[in-house]
Amino acid sequence: MLREFSLLLHRPVLLGLVVLLPVLMIALLTSIFRAGIPTGMAVAVVDLDRSDLSRSLTRMLDAAPEVRVTHQVLSLSEARALIVSGAVRGAVWLPAHLERDITRGERPEIVTFYDNQHMSAGSLVARGARGAIDTALAGLRVSIREGQGEAPMQAQVAVQPIPLQAHALFNPAFDYVHFLLAALVPTILQIIAAAGTAYAISLDFGPGRNPYDLVRRAGGLLPAMVGKILPYTVVFLLILGLSDVALYGWLDVPLRGSLPLMAAGAVLFVLASQLIGALAFVLTRNMGTAASIIAVITAPAFGFMGLGFPREAMAPFAQVWGALIPGTWYVQLRIDQSLRATPVEISVWPVLWLALIALGLAALVLAQLARLRRNLETAA
Amino acid sequence: MRAVWHAMRDELLAVFADSQVRSILLVSLAIYAVIYPLPYRAELLRDVPVVLIDQDRTTTSADLVRRVDASEAVAISTVARDMAQAIRLVQERSAYGVLLIPEGFERNLLRGRQSPVAVYADASYFLMYQRVMQGAAVPIRQMGAEVEAGRLMATGAGPEVARAQVSPANQVEVALFNPAAGYATYVLPAAFVLILQQTILMGLALTATRRRRGTDHPVWLVLGRMVAWVAIYAVLLPIYLIVLPALYGLPNLGHVVDVLAIGLPFVLAAGLLAQCVASVLRSAAVVQVVLLAVGLPFFFLSGFAWPVEAIPPLINILAQFVPSTPAIDGLVRVTQMGARLPDLASTLWHLWALTGTLGLAAILIEALQAKPESVLIHQQQIDEMGT
Repeated sequence: MLREFSLLLHRPVLLGLVVLLPVLMIALLTSIFRAGIPTGMAVAVVDLDRSDLSRSLTRMLDAAPEVRVTHQVLSLSEARALIVSGAVRGAVWLPAHLERDITRGERPEIVTFYDNQHMSAGSLVARGARGAIDTALAGLRVSIREGQGEAPMQAQVAVQPIPLQAHALFNPAFDYVHFLLAALVPTILQIIAAAGTAYAISLDFGPGRNPYDLVRRAGGLLPAMVGKILPYTVVFLLILGLSDVALYGWLDVPLRGSLPLMAAGAVLFVLASQLIGALAFVLTRNMGTAASIIAVITAPAFGFMGLGFPREAMAPFAQVWGALIPGTWYVQLRIDQSLRATPVEISVWPVLWLALIALGLAALVLAQLARLRRNLETAA
Repeated sequence: MRAVWHAMRDELLAVFADSQVRSILLVSLAIYAVIYPLPYRAELLRDVPVVLIDQDRTTTSADLVRRVDASEAVAISTVARDMAQAIRLVQERSAYGVLLIPEGFERNLLRGRQSPVAVYADASYFLMYQRVMQGAAVPIRQMGAEVEAGRLMATGAGPEVARAQVSPANQVEVALFNPAAGYATYVLPAAFVLILQQTILMGLALTATRRRRGTDHPVWLVLGRMVAWVAIYAVLLPIYLIVLPALYGLPNLGHVVDVLAIGLPFVLAAGLLAQCVASVLRSAAVVQVVLLAVGLPFFFLSGFAWPVEAIPPLINILAQFVPSTPAIDGLVRVTQMGARLPDLASTLWHLWALTGTLGLAAILIEALQAKPESVLIHQQQIDEMGT
């Protein structure tokens, strides 16, 4: 093990891969999301009414935090072209005679168009426009009632007989940066832990190297392998720990759970990720092929974690595939323990799954090592 | 001309003779085409489970529950006694929201007072939160409007007048290009472009790390290789960006010519970037590990999933040097939004500028590396010892 650490320090390439690369990637992702909740999506207004009402609607739209009015256009086709080219994310259409028709009680249409191909930006436009138009219309309804002689307070109450009190559970600030980073950091680390471990092993056991030397000095294939893996476990845990200090300390992500459980999960997660790399390498004994296997397992892993599209809604096969990937359980544990304040007896399950995956992978690596040892012995 | 021809032939041979490069460009591409879309096949979230706490237990509260349950977005899955029990169900992930109807709900409505209901939605999953709120808000708002109209009519207003007063304008929302908010329709067109780029980067960078130094003029060497990439991706790119999405049933509003017009500089820029990556990282194994790690950051840098408006300006400038950033935006606009090339002039300029810049860099690298044979062998030995 000590040999491995000194090796690490003397090999700048290896050091770069297992230390510099993850730190850089985590820093890059953090800086992408640092600005927090997206605001100020550009929208166009098609104001065909040009009345006091349509102008005040436009002002209210512009005042909504989610959107800002950047273009005033005269036709829907112009607005559509702006959306298609990406100049704006949506458009609000205020028809001619809007004010007159509203006064006459003819219920004219106000239409919000939004780019739902870029769903995250589009849904912000929809939310912002909905809120602004709702507020404007509510103001209108209150003033109609006041005109009919109702007291302002009474009118306010009357226009909303069943108010909806919306509460955002676990995430009152409605900040997705926490969740994205809580999942992205482990995803990146899972890729690098698997690939980096395979690479480190390949340096001693790969073609053209003499593995006997290392095996003899370590007193067997198993201790040699353990000595190859554990030093990097320490390195990756340190990186994970430091990024967590940054995340929870510096970026003020709340931490509302059991630290020992999180720590146990982290150790098992890093080990399991490394064992994916180790298994890929001992099976193929070729870094190129091993890297391809690792890529297929770890590169698409983010989608299976269910942060975008929830796991529960996936097809059964996708759920099973996701359940076999360590990151899925570790991310669930992190979110449960950091933000959802999930009771320990529920959160123990992802940790147990992680342990099971790590054990399964370790057993497979050992079985393959035993086979290799037999081959070594027959060869000798 | 002959030099270009030779360089092209050498590159094609290098790509197809190397089993590892071949497997990245073809096999990995095929496997990703199956695995990446797996989580999103269901497309839509229907009937998200919601816990009900009905402290009112009246016909009016039962009516509200029925309306919420009938919405497409949510379904009442369990009835809980109190908040503690309901929250626990959400923590277990067996439900994603709580509908709380307080005691006195009906009484307050009958007396003409305001009668609030509460909805708690799991905000740790953005999509779930949206669906729960949508599923609850629409029926509740509708019921509220009916109550208000009923009260107005009770005071003598006609039904039309009451309706107009309750909702003076008809608020319509039109979701363009992905009207059903399908998740596969949303994410796959962009993901396929990124996968294509990552396999180009990895495959061609590996080829570059294993290449013997050419003897011809660097310009012809680089040009010849570019012709080779175009030959390979003239086949692969249309399969990946046109045939594959069609197999997954994704809508396509684009024209083949427009896809190819963006695809050409995209492939060239990615291939040239691969040459630069290979010359910096040198060893095949290091190239693979690094390119694996940057895939996800590249996706978020592209400004597709995370709106570019929210990416810090400095990081965004950095992102413009990755071919996937303009390519994802341009190709998604062509195939999903029906944009034509005049709409995307800036994207095309961007990609060709990248191709030009990276091309110059690749030629420069090639010129610097064209050293005498003996130095070269020595250099290779050093490289091998270094890894």
